[in-house]
Amino acid sequence: MKNVCFSYNTEDGRPTNQVLKNITLTINRGEFVAVLGHNGSGKSTLAKLLNLILLPDSGSIIIDGKEVTSPDLSDDEVYETRRHVGMVFQNPDNQLVATVVEEDVAFGPENLGIPPAEIRARVDKALELVGMSEYRRHSPSRLSGGQKQRIAIAGIIAMLPDCIVFDEPTAMLDPSGRAEVMNIIRMLNRDRGITVLHITHNMNEAITADRVIVINDGELCMDDTPRRVFSQVAKLHSIGLDVPQVTELLYELGLCGVELPVDVLTYEECADLLIRKIEEKK
Amino acid sequence: MNQENSNSAGTVELRGVSYIYGRGTPFEKKAIDNINLTFEPGCITGLIGHTGSGKSTLVQLLNGLLKPDEGRILVDGVDIWDEPKKQNKLRFKVGLVFQYPEYQLFEETVRRDIAYGPSNMKLSGEEIERRVVESAKFCGLDEELLDKSPFELSGGQRRRAAIAGVIAMEPRVLILDEPTAGLDPMGREDILGGMRSYQRARNSTVIIVSHSMEDMARYSDRIVVMKNGRVEASGGRTEVFSRSDMLIGAGLDVPQITRLWEILKGRGIELPDDVFTVERACEVLLDLLRTDLQTVKGR
Repeated sequence: MKNVCFSYNTEDGRPTNQVLKNITLTINRGEFVAVLGHNGSGKSTLAKLLNLILLPDSGSIIIDGKEVTSPDLSDDEVYETRRHVGMVFQNPDNQLVATVVEEDVAFGPENLGIPPAEIRARVDKALELVGMSEYRRHSPSRLSGGQKQRIAIAGIIAMLPDCIVFDEPTAMLDPSGRAEVMNIIRMLNRDRGITVLHITHNMNEAITADRVIVINDGELCMDDTPRRVFSQVAKLHSIGLDVPQVTELLYELGLCGVELPVDVLTYEECADLLIRKIEEKK
Repeated sequence: MNQENSNSAGTVELRGVSYIYGRGTPFEKKAIDNINLTFEPGCITGLIGHTGSGKSTLVQLLNGLLKPDEGRILVDGVDIWDEPKKQNKLRFKVGLVFQYPEYQLFEETVRRDIAYGPSNMKLSGEEIERRVVESAKFCGLDEELLDKSPFELSGGQRRRAAIAGVIAMEPRVLILDEPTAGLDPMGREDILGGMRSYQRARNSTVIIVSHSMEDMARYSDRIVVMKNGRVEASGGRTEVFSRSDMLIGAGLDVPQITRLWEILKGRGIELPDDVFTVERACEVLLDLLRTDLQTVKGR
């Protein structure tokens, strides 16, 4: 993304405040990038721009070296770009369209005009990847939230995207559903080389990312490794975000005069530090 | 406080309650299986459980949207199905905020939307206005937002307006089904903190369905764990959150601080059990570390 600006229009066509302000950003192939920001910060708008659901007011978006925001792009080329960048949304119920699981997964590739035999192969493969093969003939309405979300992911995988943007895919799920979906997202990134952009409010989902991007009021506010981003506790608090609870704990202890490093993300690291400190005191 | 409210309690009892979906069809499923449970006024109860554990069915039974197939549900000692014609009164007593309630706003202004419930209770205009302003305050909505269209509000503000609409009916029992789903950390804190002050001010019964163990560790007094339509555990927050194996077995998680605590204990550090939140963990560790700390900076 180069100098991308975007604002939504009101009903009578007037532009509202800028939702994204001059964003310049490169997501590299194969990366797992977590995107954080408070509600209304512009995260989801960013996601929709990458998939050309929205077009920027100014600036350009370049995917694999091709400027997809160029005005002389044909409709076919726009569709082709959308195929490269898949999207999975928050509410699984809004994404499932068919009454049978495998038909739902086939919906995307069908629209791409793929021959039936290949669709069959892709659907089987996609369902296998998300571990839902045995449910292929079930009705999506009778599945759990985590299972529905896995079907939605399979539907995207069947279009063979290079990059998938996940817009809070776990927000509506229970803890085990969250774990199911996160495992699949990580697997797609690690084993299939799919570039992942993961928008989330769950800080613990962000700590395993390669990179964390923080958007605040439409501006790119931080872009670094999870460890470096989350060690800036005060800054994150000031823009309405949290840090993992172990980081928070060390930070609060620091405020009370116990000096401890805060660039800690896992339970084990935190326990190590605390035990060392307690033993020093003895 | 309102006269009518001060002398009515707000105790909800379930006695042997079962509920079956799709009875007589191949999809028959016992969603609620012989539940005995009491919700007391004066505390926030967190209702947790995996998807499909029966939480949402349970809350719909509590406010009479679903009728139990077996057993009785008593609100302040009265079976809510004794006189089906008086169901309206029950709904005034037991307020339910659905998941994603912001999609249910329909009035032209936020003020009129919040006033919709109380207007149906045949209250005076003055009383309605008082309730609108007060509930907006509990939900952290600025008064200046009241005259805007709900569509001009952000998602989080709309959610708060919807909750205010239920609170304005001053129910003795307030049930919220995942009130913070999809909100950022600050939005979550605003809503849960508001519910805490509401519960204290009114001494009402508050039941919150949630998937966030951290939020429940922080904001609830009691916890009910549901698993496959049954109550797997219920009790004070210490009692429930110290049983990690049970929680994980019920398809749930333990609060992050509990995980850290278990590692520390496993490595021989002696620590108290009642620690599930960052605040409490910080206190305990400070006591442990502070012995010879000279200067302690206040927060």
